[in-house]
Formats: sequence, C-alpha cells, structure tokens
Amino acid sequence: MKSELTNFHFIRAGMQKRRRRWLFVTAVLTISACLLCCLMLMLGNTIYPVNEVVRSLFGEQIQGVTFAVNTIRFPRMLAGVFAGFAFGVGGYIFQTMLRNPLANPNVLGITSGSSVAAVFCITVLHTSNAVVSVASVGAGLATVLVMYVLSKGKTFSIGRLILIGIGIQAMLDAFISYLLLLSAQQDISAALLWLSGSLNGVQLSELPPLMLTVLGLTPIAALYGKQLNMLELGEQTASSLGVATNKTRLVLIVWAVFLVAVATATTGPIAFISFLAGPIANRLVDIGASNIIPAGLVGANIVLIADLIGQFAFEYRFPVGVITGLIGAPYLIYLLIKMNRKGEL
Amino acid sequence: MEKSHLFRAERLAAGYEEKTILHDINVDIPSNKISVIIGSNGCGKSTLLKTLAKLIKPSQGEITLDGKAISKIPPKKLAQLLGVLPQSPIVPEGITVADLIGRGRFPHQSLFSGWSKKDYEAVAEAMEMMKVTEFADLDIDELSGGQRQRVWIAMALAQQTDILFLDEPTTFLDITYQVEILDLLTDLNKKHGTTIVMVLHDINLSARYADYVFAMKQGQLLAEGAPEEVITDALISDIFGMECVVIDDPVSHTPLVVPVGRYHSTVNLF
Repeated sequence: MKSELTNFHFIRAGMQKRRRRWLFVTAVLTISACLLCCLMLMLGNTIYPVNEVVRSLFGEQIQGVTFAVNTIRFPRMLAGVFAGFAFGVGGYIFQTMLRNPLANPNVLGITSGSSVAAVFCITVLHTSNAVVSVASVGAGLATVLVMYVLSKGKTFSIGRLILIGIGIQAMLDAFISYLLLLSAQQDISAALLWLSGSLNGVQLSELPPLMLTVLGLTPIAALYGKQLNMLELGEQTASSLGVATNKTRLVLIVWAVFLVAVATATTGPIAFISFLAGPIANRLVDIGASNIIPAGLVGANIVLIADLIGQFAFEYRFPVGVITGLIGAPYLIYLLIKMNRKGEL
Repeated sequence: MEKSHLFRAERLAAGYEEKTILHDINVDIPSNKISVIIGSNGCGKSTLLKTLAKLIKPSQGEITLDGKAISKIPPKKLAQLLGVLPQSPIVPEGITVADLIGRGRFPHQSLFSGWSKKDYEAVAEAMEMMKVTEFADLDIDELSGGQRQRVWIAMALAQQTDILFLDEPTTFLDITYQVEILDLLTDLNKKHGTTIVMVLHDINLSARYADYVFAMKQGQLLAEGAPEEVITDALISDIFGMECVVIDDPVSHTPLVVPVGRYHSTVNLF
C-alpha cells in the first residue's frame, strides 16, 4: 500500500506528463506549420531561396520574385493557414460539444448554406468576390439560426440537432445542383472552383476579414476551452459542476459558426478539414486538456500539405479541396464502419 | 471542514413538459447526515433529487441553501457547496481516470489559474478514498462497472463539497460493489461530515445505511424520519403496493423488509 504522499506524486506526475505532451505537440504543430509556410513561399514555377523570399516580403523589389511571392504565394499561404485553422477549430468545437465525430459544420448544413449563397451570387447575380464573401457568411449564419430554431424543442437534444442539420444540408445541396443546371457554361466553372475549395487566386485584399476573425476570436479558446471540456461530460454533470451550460453552448456555437462561415467565404468549403482536424488532434494529445488550439494547428497543417500536393505532385494542378477530399473520404468510411460496429449509428 | 448547512425546499412542484411529477413537497435536509429517498418506480424520487440539485427548474416553490434561493446562487459558487452525481453520466471517449476526476476541480479553478497544489491534493485524496489510485493513468473504458462508478464518485469528491447528491449510485452493480460503495460513502460522511442525499433502489440497504429516510409515493412525500420509524409493514406495503413483513436485520439491527408474494409463503398474515 502506497502512502498518501506517494499517491499524490504519482497522480500529479501523470497529469503533468499529459500536460507537457500537450505543449510538445502544440509546439511541433506550430513549427511544422511554419516550415510549410516557408515551402509555400519558396515553391512554384520557379523555386526561390529563403533569403530572396524574405527580402522580397520586406519590400525589396527583386525582378520576378516580388510579384510571384508577394502577390501570388504570400496571400495563398495566408489563406491556407487561417482557413485551415478556422475549419479545424470550428469542427473540433462542434464534434466535442455534440460528442459526435460526425457532427461538423458540413453535416450540420452551415457549409451548404454558405455555398448556396455563393453559387447564387456567382451564377445568377454575377457579383464581385467581396459580395460573394459577405453573402456566404450571412447565409451560413442564417442556416444555423434556422437549424437552431427548428431543433430547439423544449429541451436541447443533440440527436435532433444533427438530424435536422442533415435534412437541411440535403435540401440546400439540391438547391445548389438546381442553380448549377440553370446557369451559363462560363459561370459553372467559377462556381465549381469555389465549391471545391481552392486557394487559387486569393488576393491579399480579401484576407483581412478572415485573419481578423481568427486572431480576434481565438482568445475565446482560453476563456471557454475548459467549459467545452466540461460540456463533454453531459448536460447534467456539466451544470452540476458549475458550468452555465446554455450560455457556454451559445458562445461556442456562434464562435464556431463564425469561423467556419468566414473561412468558407474566403476559400470555399475545403472538404473534410473540419471533420479531420479534431480527431487527429485528439489522437496526438490526450483529451484531458482542451484541444482547440491543436485542432486549429492540425487544420492549418493539413491545408498547407494538401495544397502543396495539389500544386506539385501531379501534372495537372488540383485545387486543395480535391486533395483533402481524397484524404478525408476514406477516413469517413473508416469512422462509419467503426461506429457501426460499436452500435453508435 | 465539517460545516452545517440549512437546505430546505418549500411547497415544491416540478415535472417535465406538461406533466407534473412532484406535488407540494416540503423538505429539510438533515445536515451532516446520510439521507435516502425511497419509493417505487416512477414515484418522482429522481425528479425530487434533480430539482433539489437545480438540474430541473421547479414550477412552483422555493429551494434555499442557508436561507438563500439556489436559483440566485451563481453556478460556480453553488458547485463549491453542492456536488451531484447523475444517474448515468456520460464518459468522454479516451479520457484517463485522473483527468476525468480532475474535472471535479472546475468550480474551484478561476479562469487563468493553473493547477494548484490544493487541486492535486483534492484529486489524490478523492482517488485514495474511492480506491482508484492505481487506475490513475488508465483509459476509463478499461474499467469495470463497479470501478467506473467509484471513479464517478471520486470526481464528485474532488469537488470537495459539504453536500453531495447521488442518484442511484449502486444501480446495476453486484451486491459486493453496492455494499462497498455505501461503505465508502459512510466513510466520507464520518470523516468529513458530508451531508449525503441519495436515491436508492434497495430498501434494506437504505434502512441500514441511512440516518434519515424520505418515503415517496406518487410525487408526494408520505413519511420521513429515522429508518426504524419509517420502514414499517404498513408504510412499505402502502408505498410499494405489496404485502411484506419487516423484521430485525440480524447484522445491523435496522429494519429488514421481507416481501410476501403469492407463493412460498408460510406466514399467515391475517
């Protein structure tokens, strides 16, 4: 029989070890995201060395380099990092809060809501990119609002929310198909490019909303990360441990929806990021701590890797969403089989 | 740490949707004692416990803790005084035992405070008390039902509250584990003077472990008092709608309920 003091040290050592692992994984993910960012800036039709890239970013005019790096590669890299982070965080919040790996902004219809608005703007109204962005954010938020009202009932039910989300998504997807069938040939390709999720042609001027949203709202992770973990214990346990469950859920949903909607507006729905990032982060770190930040970093890493693969691995350049779709689909099938075996479906 | 509290509910009514389950209930929880709520299935004992724990909003009446309405006490503050173990808590997938129990410290931690020595001590003590220390770094999925239940109670203990509510903490457990858990809860009551209120199915274990019994029928409080006063032939027959004989428990000398039934009976009752 161990003495009480040894027990104390044993338990503390275990918990601290897991916390150190969190720090370690977060640091590694940050470093790898930075390295991928450097690659994004260096690689292209011409490969530029680091020193030229840095000098060019700091304003020096270098023949050929400045245009390629500052105007094309730099915005592309920023869009990838921030959109990946936003999708990762948004997905993780939904999956954790609803305790279901299938619950993510795609399934819940948010992405479809944004997509309908974007496709409508592109094919019918022929508006500018800025209008497409605003409309898709608005539509994403509106979709959530409708979903929330429909699934409210007398008591909050996760199952109802997910089912209604799936229903809304199916309806909106049908509407997107309808719009595409109606539209002119030249608009279809623009719409499809947007729908597949792409970092192509992102301009620096389009990025501030996404960057401000991510940077401005990430501190919420510090405020509500612990509460999110508590919600995972179920409504009753969380509230008996002193969590204001309704308020917490509202803050988290609005935050996640905003992140996903703004990111979708900027890059289009990059497939499966919000679905993959959370589970990967949970696997890398134990789930004792809040994995909001690691999930965001995983999201950024996946987008950058997928975009590099899409640009350089094949003869033809694929948009990033095609690659993430190829990575994500097998995982979805694996997850469905696993859940089916456990009788969770 | 032994601290007395006045926990009182007056003219309480509550229920789900349109259906009222509790009718006009007045309760004073005896401080620093073990109280057990008994009654047949669907009589509202869980609902009463949940309402007292602020998990269900009462449609009428008031619940006060030390003279203050619990609806007015901020959630975290209340959670420092009152711990609740729900009937079927949800386990997050892939969490270790120590981390789960550590979540019981939430009400004591402020926004930016990390883990203090006191937090670790509370977790270590709770684990020691529920004899789950050796499982600290295991995944909770690897434990048996009885072990898991002890982990949940440890989480509520790590909360270090003066009052603890438990909704059927022994249901689905073998008799060995039932007795073990009730023994551990009695340890807690004796060591820290924790006021314990629980819903139990087993009436004989209730009679043995309770200092005070609340007997419910159809959403109303039928009787309350020491087990010897409440658990009688007449009252138990009334509550459960079944003839029975109450004898002396040879081990604890508390009331022991023996059901009669239609077969095998050699007792001529009337």
